[in-house]
Amino acid sequence: MQPYVAVLALLGLLAAVVAAVYALSFAYTPPGAPSAGPFLSGTRPREHALSRHHVRWYAVTMVFLAFDMEMVFMYPWAVVVASVGTKAVVEMFAFLALLIVGVVYAWREGAFRWA
Amino acid sequence: MGLTARLLRFAHAHPRAFVITAPGATRTRLLVEAELRRRNGRMVTSPAAAAMLIVCGRPGSDLTAAVDTIWEDMPGPRSLVRLDGSASAERVVAELDRAAGRLADTAAQRADAEARRERGPWSPDSDADGMNEHGDQASGHQHDHAASSESDDGGGHEAIRHEDEDHDGDDNEHAPAADSGHAGHGAGSSDEDEQHREHMEHGGHAGHGNHGSGHGGHQHHMGAPMGLAMAERAADRDGLKLDVLHVPLGPALPDWPAGLVLRLTLQGDVVQAAEVAVMEGAADGSSFWDEPWLRSAAGEQLTTADAERRRAASHLDSVGRLLAVAGWESAADQARELRDEIIAGAPESDVAPRVAKLARRTGRSRTLRWMLSDVGVIDRDMAGRHGLIGPSARHLGDAFARLAGWLDEIGQALGRLDDSAPLLGSDGPRGPVERRTSAAVLAMLPELLDGAELAAARLTVASLDPDIDQVTAAKAEVPGE
Amino acid sequence: MSEPTPVWAVVALPLVLAALAYSAAALDTAFRAGGGPAAPLREGVRLIVQQRRRTLAPDVLLMRIGVISLPTAALLAATVIPLGDTSVWDLPVSVVWFNAMEVVAWGSLWLTGWGVNSAFPLIGGYRFLAQGLAYELPHMFALITAGLGAGSLDFGDVAAAQDDLWFVVWMPVAFAVYLLSALAMTFWGPLDHPVADDLAGGVAAELSGPDRLLFFAGRFALLTVAAAAAVPLFLGGGAGPWLPDWAWSLIKTCAVLAFLVWVRQRFPVIRMDRFMTAAWMVLIPATLLQTLVVGIVVVN
Repeated sequence: MQPYVAVLALLGLLAAVVAAVYALSFAYTPPGAPSAGPFLSGTRPREHALSRHHVRWYAVTMVFLAFDMEMVFMYPWAVVVASVGTKAVVEMFAFLALLIVGVVYAWREGAFRWA
Repeated sequence: MGLTARLLRFAHAHPRAFVITAPGATRTRLLVEAELRRRNGRMVTSPAAAAMLIVCGRPGSDLTAAVDTIWEDMPGPRSLVRLDGSASAERVVAELDRAAGRLADTAAQRADAEARRERGPWSPDSDADGMNEHGDQASGHQHDHAASSESDDGGGHEAIRHEDEDHDGDDNEHAPAADSGHAGHGAGSSDEDEQHREHMEHGGHAGHGNHGSGHGGHQHHMGAPMGLAMAERAADRDGLKLDVLHVPLGPALPDWPAGLVLRLTLQGDVVQAAEVAVMEGAADGSSFWDEPWLRSAAGEQLTTADAERRRAASHLDSVGRLLAVAGWESAADQARELRDEIIAGAPESDVAPRVAKLARRTGRSRTLRWMLSDVGVIDRDMAGRHGLIGPSARHLGDAFARLAGWLDEIGQALGRLDDSAPLLGSDGPRGPVERRTSAAVLAMLPELLDGAELAAARLTVASLDPDIDQVTAAKAEVPGE
Repeated sequence: MSEPTPVWAVVALPLVLAALAYSAAALDTAFRAGGGPAAPLREGVRLIVQQRRRTLAPDVLLMRIGVISLPTAALLAATVIPLGDTSVWDLPVSVVWFNAMEVVAWGSLWLTGWGVNSAFPLIGGYRFLAQGLAYELPHMFALITAGLGAGSLDFGDVAAAQDDLWFVVWMPVAFAVYLLSALAMTFWGPLDHPVADDLAGGVAAELSGPDRLLFFAGRFALLTVAAAAAVPLFLGGGAGPWLPDWAWSLIKTCAVLAFLVWVRQRFPVIRMDRFMTAAWMVLIPATLLQTLVVGIVVVN
């Protein structure tokens, strides 16, 4: 069996299982899907919950993005270290050291504390 | 019995229950928790996850509205159990059995669902302009009738009792909306003064609980999809304009003091303002945890051992609650099991080593210390200002200090389980029982929670664990409050 | 890449995944309230016969995508993990694929939390994003360290590179960080703050019936896959005496899975406002040092 056929077959199986769960549920539950208010400890909402959430760890996302982009280079790097040799390790860790300096700066500025 | 009914019996053999406790019904709650544990059941944290709604005690009018809301939000099959404050263990067993039977009664559940579908969904339009309490109550009632008339006699009986309760409830009605802006519902008059001061201090914050109609303004009519307003903006502490959500904690919330309502104004998950209210039971009993000392004060002869047993159980209840809120279900279950055994009269030699083990497990957990330190810090100054007494004043500091304090006091109390000397004094689990120390805790909450993260706010409340029964019993005794 | 997949592997994968996920759920109930090996079945039946419900003005599509993507991500991640030395999809960059699938959980939780239009799930969804910012980089460094040791990003090659010495022995930091991040990505045990009880169930607070069933089944499947991936990454894959390699893969997976389930009993929940600093200032430098050590060994 070709791998893509196998993966598609498994996805098909999952789709069938998910469909079966909803179908069984449809067949065996009491009719209808009741409408409910959001759970607010027994009270009704004063406004929709969907809102611009105050994400106080905003600064962390920026630091994360900088680091995460770098990970894209690290996957191929891991494969070629053995063949390229010391140069690859030195260059990568020099780069990482620069990033770490940035992280330490962010830490000193209090980016990882928000409570 | 049909296939579906058999499936339902199998599925509901281990009950998943949402438990709401009215003030004055702590004893019933303990019976329910023990019975659920015996059945391998679990207390779930939201109505969506529940099949059974268990109401301990007789709720007053506000609390009845909350019960109705939760009941309406539960998906079928569902079953309602009402147990009043004096229910016996046998009655708890019988009612849970009956509820399991109702869950497997496919005809009744189908009829319940049909009736619900006919009545249509809940929508904010039906209870606009702050009439939501009444709107909900009305639909909740229809509901009960529909559900119970199809099921067995027990259900019908319950529905009738439910109505009675509402009449009772009207006597001590106490609408939160009428009480604009002022916290300190529960607190005595002296405490209320302090809360005024509290409000002055934080007067700068916009979006204080009840002023919704004020800053609602035109936006309400402009952008209100499905009849409900979108979140509005208000300045936060740094002067940024941020969306505000109003999220009440309590009364129907697991691991939460029965009857306590904390109306939070949140920006993100930061508490910008907190307003305290109390929802009463229809039949306010005195505090279960203070009972030995109250009876002793009334002239009854009790031994120190009786009282210390209650003290240990009370603190274990608080410890279990705090651990559950801290996300340590396994340790919390252990605390609750020990609590029930101590109340049932287990000998000191049996429970003391296990309590010591629990104390080691939690008191020495570095992770727990890491997560609880600097949460809800009370210093001497704040305690003095609010007149805080009792264990939370003895163990000043953060939530972990209070946990350690409880664990210490549990150990000491267990050491006196053989003390048959007559009970003297009135120093109950939460301090002198006649001082009703929980009122001071309530008065302190707005200041303590201001600026806290939601998770920290819950931990703070759990680490103080005010006994609302003390507060509601006080109101029942003082006429005109 | 186009090496044909044996049919038995395609049949075995869903069976093994389902059986292990079920066992994990059963073990968890056994640790908690008790209730015997039928407890997850009981809960499953209960959720199938329970009504779905709609909150006010939900985004049903987003919510369903969130819920169903959890088991889907688990299954797709499982296709590249070798049982013995055979995987369904013999991808040369299977470690990267595994990483990509596990990140789907970020979307799943946030979409579910957002879609139901309710305050507690919304806050829970954002809690998971914060958690992701804390665990994802240490997690990726742990994966890369194993890949670096083997000079390959293929689970099969990584396992084969451990014939002499298991990676867990000389990469203990990477292994420990991997286990921690496995807990975090499956929002399990001490890292289940996004679905914690203090938020009334957080992201899952409004889910009932089949939605709830798929959500939590997906979580157990993800936990299983995370445990299974640890075996080729750090525990020598199918290597072991007497028994065939597929049996060793299974035994090791069960051991890691049982450990992950047990950890839940052992710790309270960890909040990100406390953990974030530790993640960036301790875990990331520690895993980087680990990577450096491995890099130096590899070069020599």
